Amino acid sequence: MQINTEELEFLVGNHDILCEMPQISVLPMFSDKIVAFLGALSRELLNDKRSKKFVDVISYAYWIRKASIEKNRDKHIDRKCRIGRGVAFHVAPSNVPVNFAVSMTSSMLAGNITLIRVSNKKFEQVDIICDAMNKLLEDEFNYLAGYICVIRYDHSDIITQELSDICDVRIVWGGNRTIREIRKAVLPPRAIEMTFADRHSIAVIDSDYYLLQDADEVAKGFYTDTYYTDQNACSSPRLVVWTGNKVEEARKLFWSKLGELAVKDYDMKPIQAVDKYTSFCTLGMGHKGMKLVSDDNYVVRIEVDNLYPELMEYKNSGGYFFEYYAGELDDIVPVLTKQCQTVSVLGIDKKDIRDIVYKYGVRGVDRIVLLGQTMGLEFIWDGYKMIENMSRFVYIGEYE
Amino acid sequence: MILDTMLDRNPYTDAHTEKNSLLLERLNELTDHYYNDCSEYRRFIDVLHNGRTKYDSLDDIPFLPVKIFKQMELKCVPDEDIFKTMTSSGTTGQQVSKIFLDRQTAGMQQKVLTRIVSEYTGNSRMPMIILDCPSVLKNRNMFSARGAGILGFSLFGSKKIYAFTDDMELNIDEIRQFLEKYSGQTIFLFGFTYMIWQYFYKKLKDIGEYLPLENGVMIHGGGWKKLINEAVSKEEFKSGLNEVCGIKSVHDYYGMVEQTGCIYMECECGHLHASVFSDVIIRDMKDFSVCENGKRGAVQVLSSLPWSYPGHSILTEDMGCVLGEDDCPCGRKGKYIEIYGRMKNAEVRGCSDTFEKK
Repeated sequence: MQINTEELEFLVGNHDILCEMPQISVLPMFSDKIVAFLGALSRELLNDKRSKKFVDVISYAYWIRKASIEKNRDKHIDRKCRIGRGVAFHVAPSNVPVNFAVSMTSSMLAGNITLIRVSNKKFEQVDIICDAMNKLLEDEFNYLAGYICVIRYDHSDIITQELSDICDVRIVWGGNRTIREIRKAVLPPRAIEMTFADRHSIAVIDSDYYLLQDADEVAKGFYTDTYYTDQNACSSPRLVVWTGNKVEEARKLFWSKLGELAVKDYDMKPIQAVDKYTSFCTLGMGHKGMKLVSDDNYVVRIEVDNLYPELMEYKNSGGYFFEYYAGELDDIVPVLTKQCQTVSVLGIDKKDIRDIVYKYGVRGVDRIVLLGQTMGLEFIWDGYKMIENMSRFVYIGEYE
Repeated sequence: MILDTMLDRNPYTDAHTEKNSLLLERLNELTDHYYNDCSEYRRFIDVLHNGRTKYDSLDDIPFLPVKIFKQMELKCVPDEDIFKTMTSSGTTGQQVSKIFLDRQTAGMQQKVLTRIVSEYTGNSRMPMIILDCPSVLKNRNMFSARGAGILGFSLFGSKKIYAFTDDMELNIDEIRQFLEKYSGQTIFLFGFTYMIWQYFYKKLKDIGEYLPLENGVMIHGGGWKKLINEAVSKEEFKSGLNEVCGIKSVHDYYGMVEQTGCIYMECECGHLHASVFSDVIIRDMKDFSVCENGKRGAVQVLSSLPWSYPGHSILTEDMGCVLGEDDCPCGRKGKYIEIYGRMKNAEVRGCSDTFEKK
């Protein structure tokens, strides 16, 4: 196989490994080799002094430690019938440094040969993880060296096409513009694609329940859901829906606790304050029924008196929240559009939200989690069972 | 009408109390007009300010974010009264601001610009060198900021020539002839900061020619961003120009298409001055509170001129600070400011777009 690799920078692997990829044998799902490799990678990352300052690297390292992976393996009950599809080509996002490794983990566990394009933006987290992999692949896990390449290249339709030509699965992390660009490169007839487009998320809080909780802990969790990623992750709530009888009391406490944290910990840039103000003015000048509530520019809240699908087009990040009081839980249906990914809940049964999804047959909501846990690492994402989707089922008349 | 009273005044002789009361009266009048004649503005005031249109202090006057003019078409006069639409000079693909002018507003802008600039150049018209190329004015229907600037300042020129060809080559022979013809007279030069440096200064420096512009007055604007990238300071800009053409009177200005006319001219002490027709308030981005003088923050600009669009109070995306008020050694009253340039785009985290265009 010929690939013009002059313009590729290899962080893991090399030109020969890349060219050999289509010929390498795939592995069964959750093969011992890969589980062992991930366990060793976890140890390397936890031992690297540089990791300490990166919460995301540490969480990733815990997620792939042997016990954690084995627990997840046991949930994949049909794994004996599954094997890798072949070469999995991942296009990782530019601003979530550890995401490439998360995507890679599912791909390797599925049994694939994994090729990842990471962003040209330099992140120390990427270096830490690639250094650890290189160390393992050069030595103890040399027999897996043919299975992984991590590369960088300046965006190029030609290179993307060449890499797409050899892949069996293509995984594109959004946003929408990236997906549109990457899709210009056609896939081989048998190849499948998984895309992770722009999404947004909402939170639903029962006021009575909230008032019985430790308000500081709830605030910390919600801060992690939002400000920790500039409220710009797909899973970051943009809308907070309140239910219950003590909404006024609960809201007051909730936002004041969050505000304290944001003022203390969030490094807000001037342009974010202006952008939030601009978003609100655009919304307020074009629509009726908006009310701005904010004491400062850290937490900008807009009370809305009804929910409708287009509302979320006016979302912003960096601490910009729509707020709505729902008499009935079913009131949230209009915002459960295709773009809605995660509903995080506090004092609401997750099954009640799922029931709404089923009852109305809405296009959105792939995930319902507890408030404070939207950033958790999972093998099920955006409605995909990641490892299954990247693998192939070999059928002999049995389902597992 | 209060604006007429203001237009009769010298731009720089009113100190704080006098100026603020004049400006406040005019801005309250404008707020009320926008409220009554622009439904979007009415909603803005209703939603954010409980329908209030009279304020007791300039600090309290509601401000619109500058980007709103890119996102909405805001007018406060009937469509048939609009005779000119100004646009910001956004690069291709970007949304541009649209500013709708009626004859009255456009006339005021020109009048005020004249009042301000003649404080620096004197009242008479002068032979003028436009440091730009003729093609910038070709499309007369959509006035870009660059074209609008040239047209506005052309009023100070008697005879005019363009310094550059459409390929941005310096017309050096033509300029020499022009200077010979008008030798002994004050020559007025106008252009954009970066283009002056790139195509005028650098060219003269390269070919080692000197143009006799010792009697010239230069006004330039458009911002320092590109020159800061080339590490050219304001001092180097002036001394560089002095070296290639002997010019001593060089004035920067701060202004924007959203508030044409009310420009902030640089005085002999290097300070940008607010005139009686406009003002600057610096805001703390944490909570939009007013910063004390000397403190850095976001620039809010006030102007007494916009009648046909709701642009009398705008929160810009520039950072700046008020250096002082009424006490600049140059003798001009009012606030004098420094502008640090555009706010940086935030490098946001989260799973937004990954596509990187080279």
